[in-house]
Amino acid sequence: MALKEVHLLLGGPQGAGVETSASVLTASLAGLGYGIMSDREYYSNIVGRHSYVHFTISATSFPRSLTYPVELVGAMDAESVLTHFHEVAPGGVLVYDAGVDKTKISQVISMEPEVRERVEARFKEYGLEPTVGNAAKIVEEKLNAHSVPLDFRKILDEARQKLGVSSVEVQRYRNSILLGAAAAVLGVDPEVIRDGLSVRFKGNQKIVNANMVVIGLTMESVPKDVRGLAKLDEPKLDVEEMISASGNDVIGMAKIVGGVRYQSYYPITPASDESVFIEAHQAVSVDGKPVGSIVVFQTEDELAAINSAIGAALTGVRAATATSGPGFSLMAEGLGWAGHNEVPLLITFYQRGGPSTGQPTRGEQADLLFSLFASHGEFPRIVIASGDIEEAFYDTLKALNWAERFQVPVIHLVDKYMANVISAMRMPDPSKVKVDRGKLILKASGPMKRFDLSDPISPRPAIGSGAITWYTGDEHNEWGHISEDPINRVKMYDKRMKKLEIMDQEIPVEERAVYYGDDNADFLLVGWGFVKGAALDALEELKQEGYHGAYLHLKVFSPFPSKYVADILSKFDPKRVIDVEHNYLGQAAKVIEMNTGFEISRFILKYTGRPMYRMELKEAVKRILEGKSVREVLTYGE
Amino acid sequence: MASEAAYRTNVWVDWCPACGNFGILTAMQRALAELNIPPDKVVDVSGIGCSGKTSHFLNVNGVHNLHGRSIPYAEGIKLANPELTVLVNGGDGDLLGIGMAHFVALGRRNLDIKVIIHDNQVYGLTKGQASPTLRAGQRVKSMPLPNMQDWVNPISVALASGYTFVARAYALWIDDLKEILKAAIKHRGAAVIDVLQPCPTWNNIYTPDFYKQRLYKLDSEKDWDPYVKGPDPKEVAEKLSRAFAKAQEWGDRIPVGIFYANPYVESFVDNVSKVNPMYMQMSPAKNVIAKDDGTPIVDVPTMRAIFKDYIINVRKKHN
Repeated sequence: MALKEVHLLLGGPQGAGVETSASVLTASLAGLGYGIMSDREYYSNIVGRHSYVHFTISATSFPRSLTYPVELVGAMDAESVLTHFHEVAPGGVLVYDAGVDKTKISQVISMEPEVRERVEARFKEYGLEPTVGNAAKIVEEKLNAHSVPLDFRKILDEARQKLGVSSVEVQRYRNSILLGAAAAVLGVDPEVIRDGLSVRFKGNQKIVNANMVVIGLTMESVPKDVRGLAKLDEPKLDVEEMISASGNDVIGMAKIVGGVRYQSYYPITPASDESVFIEAHQAVSVDGKPVGSIVVFQTEDELAAINSAIGAALTGVRAATATSGPGFSLMAEGLGWAGHNEVPLLITFYQRGGPSTGQPTRGEQADLLFSLFASHGEFPRIVIASGDIEEAFYDTLKALNWAERFQVPVIHLVDKYMANVISAMRMPDPSKVKVDRGKLILKASGPMKRFDLSDPISPRPAIGSGAITWYTGDEHNEWGHISEDPINRVKMYDKRMKKLEIMDQEIPVEERAVYYGDDNADFLLVGWGFVKGAALDALEELKQEGYHGAYLHLKVFSPFPSKYVADILSKFDPKRVIDVEHNYLGQAAKVIEMNTGFEISRFILKYTGRPMYRMELKEAVKRILEGKSVREVLTYGE
Repeated sequence: MASEAAYRTNVWVDWCPACGNFGILTAMQRALAELNIPPDKVVDVSGIGCSGKTSHFLNVNGVHNLHGRSIPYAEGIKLANPELTVLVNGGDGDLLGIGMAHFVALGRRNLDIKVIIHDNQVYGLTKGQASPTLRAGQRVKSMPLPNMQDWVNPISVALASGYTFVARAYALWIDDLKEILKAAIKHRGAAVIDVLQPCPTWNNIYTPDFYKQRLYKLDSEKDWDPYVKGPDPKEVAEKLSRAFAKAQEWGDRIPVGIFYANPYVESFVDNVSKVNPMYMQMSPAKNVIAKDDGTPIVDVPTMRAIFKDYIINVRKKHN
């Protein structure tokens, strides 16, 4: 029976190509017209530690959440088997290397002690010694699923002979065994994988062919009874082309489309890949005709990153930077200067596990309050958070417009999940968001009042426009010169803060919060960022079980859509309003209370560093609705 | 030649009487006038402290920013619009204390920015604490105890960091400073001028009297030639070594003048142009990012061309 949705997990040591396999598989299946998203989980490590990619593939929609169990666990090493064997769905498949069949958990030195304890406990339940072979046995006998030991060495040896390469070189194609296994279990034509490889390796036929040999040999080795076991329905998505990319890539694309021509950054996970992407496209030309030129400036630290971007913005250029928590901490002072001097600036903030260096490669959404209040003094800013990569694309374009229109810094909150998700997305249409440069003046002459008080948003002559302007971090007069006059202080302070009202009036409320559901829903989930997909999917499944809920997706936290949110909340029994977030405090709930007075008392929170999964969210919602709990802390996922 | 007055604003200069900053300001106004650079094409970037106010007194674009961050602001401005003349006026604390990492980074980048260090050995505006250029054991009048930290030598640091124009001047020798400023502005690459500047309010050691007895001009020395004449590593090494040696002189005799100048090192702008050949013709500030109707210049067909490696064409029929 063909499936509407399939889930896979491909695991192996960091550096062994699991991520490459994920991008190949994404491109391959998107090429068939399937919707696909994959989350990549990895340690802060270059080579050797356990990493995996967790997929949702859909025949009918662009997937927006992940869930367990999975129809296929493809394991490159013993650690992947031992860590994930229990996640195979009934009727699903565990594919692993027969060469590690005898491996005991004690031999897996890369496994963290805490994981080891959990895995050992799992085996204890079944009364078996923790070995790979026993994991396969549990899959077969207890989980009613299939285990397929493949002889990786034999496959690679045959490939080596066919390709006439060295035994070292053939190891480069080892990850294609997982691709072959996935293709076999999904029942797709291997030629489909060839397309994905061509995309990933930019048409390098030698690499594509070599991988195809490994894939072919693998598919032949997969026993007939599991081939096509997780076959998907015919794809029903009505699309002719898609973009297959990571969240980092998509935001980089949006910045280029949105006219960012200066991006500065200091390397930090998970933000840097965005800047690297933009750098690779810095000479924007089409058919040899120049369209634009971007400077990507790798600075000595985040202080230099934000302040050089501010400098660039003063010349009338759309300027941006990208960072994560520790970097943003260093940027706080510069943020204040930008706010005080009414500089349009975009900061893309990839949240990750904190505090301090926390969990550098894991996800979290605990920097909302920090984004709202970072830097000293008071000044208006925009804080916008995106729920998925498509939102992130358009939000980037909007953020750039708002920055210039209101002459304020904009903090665009995304997170590690989104950064590292590789998804297929519908081709965006940039004409949906017209470029708005606000009161920017590119031609002028002579000294000008940069902070003309006749309007809260003054004309903004670029440095280099011919005008002469002054800026200072001290309080200034209309000319931008230092002034400590008390009456001028009030005028300038008011001018800046007045923008909060202007932004509140001019930024449409439907772009700041989105209500998903109908009027007679009897409970409400409130969330933001990456929670969106899991929340919407959990609600759909809950509906089938008779629970009728809605989701309020918060997007802009400053200026906060207070009235709109208050009106929605007032329609619900306060005991049936549940805040769903990737942090401990329920930060968005605090922002809601601050702005509306509505106190949320039910929470579903996750701060393990792993994304919220549909099934665990669904169960937590049920427990709260049934009055069994008021605060659920989710912990699923290795 | 433009008039010096064209580079003055009507903002009251609120430095202490006899402050060395007056000399620096006058020399800057004269240098810009003699070079005839239109005020709107000049940006003066300054940090915190007395020196930071320089931006307000110059009738050119002024960016008075955070403590220690002048260089990054200046770098953003210069990279976004390489046609601008970008100057940094900062104190010794600003550039060599809180901003040292940026000071070093600018040198290694050799980006065409001119850094003028207002070197008075004290933090003036916060009442005379020791700055990074005050020697250990010295105690200027506001300090309760002698200085426990030794100095950094701005000339040595600049030479070691890769600045391709390194000079020292004296704030009260205005015409000499002006000439050095002109040479620095004309130099293609990162330039630094360490300007010794008496602070009449706090610094009772490095007084005009102190300097008068000790300063001598490098170009008064026989055979002194700081200019590298060709891209010859041997000559560069030799000139750098001599400059380093001269930088160590601080006692009865203190040299002022140009220590080292090498116009043969490629600037950061050159390096950007190498990886992005359209950079100079189409620097960020010259980009048009939208069409007349407001739609982004990078429209869907352009996106398809630029991001072709990420675009998946969906097969018409499954298998």
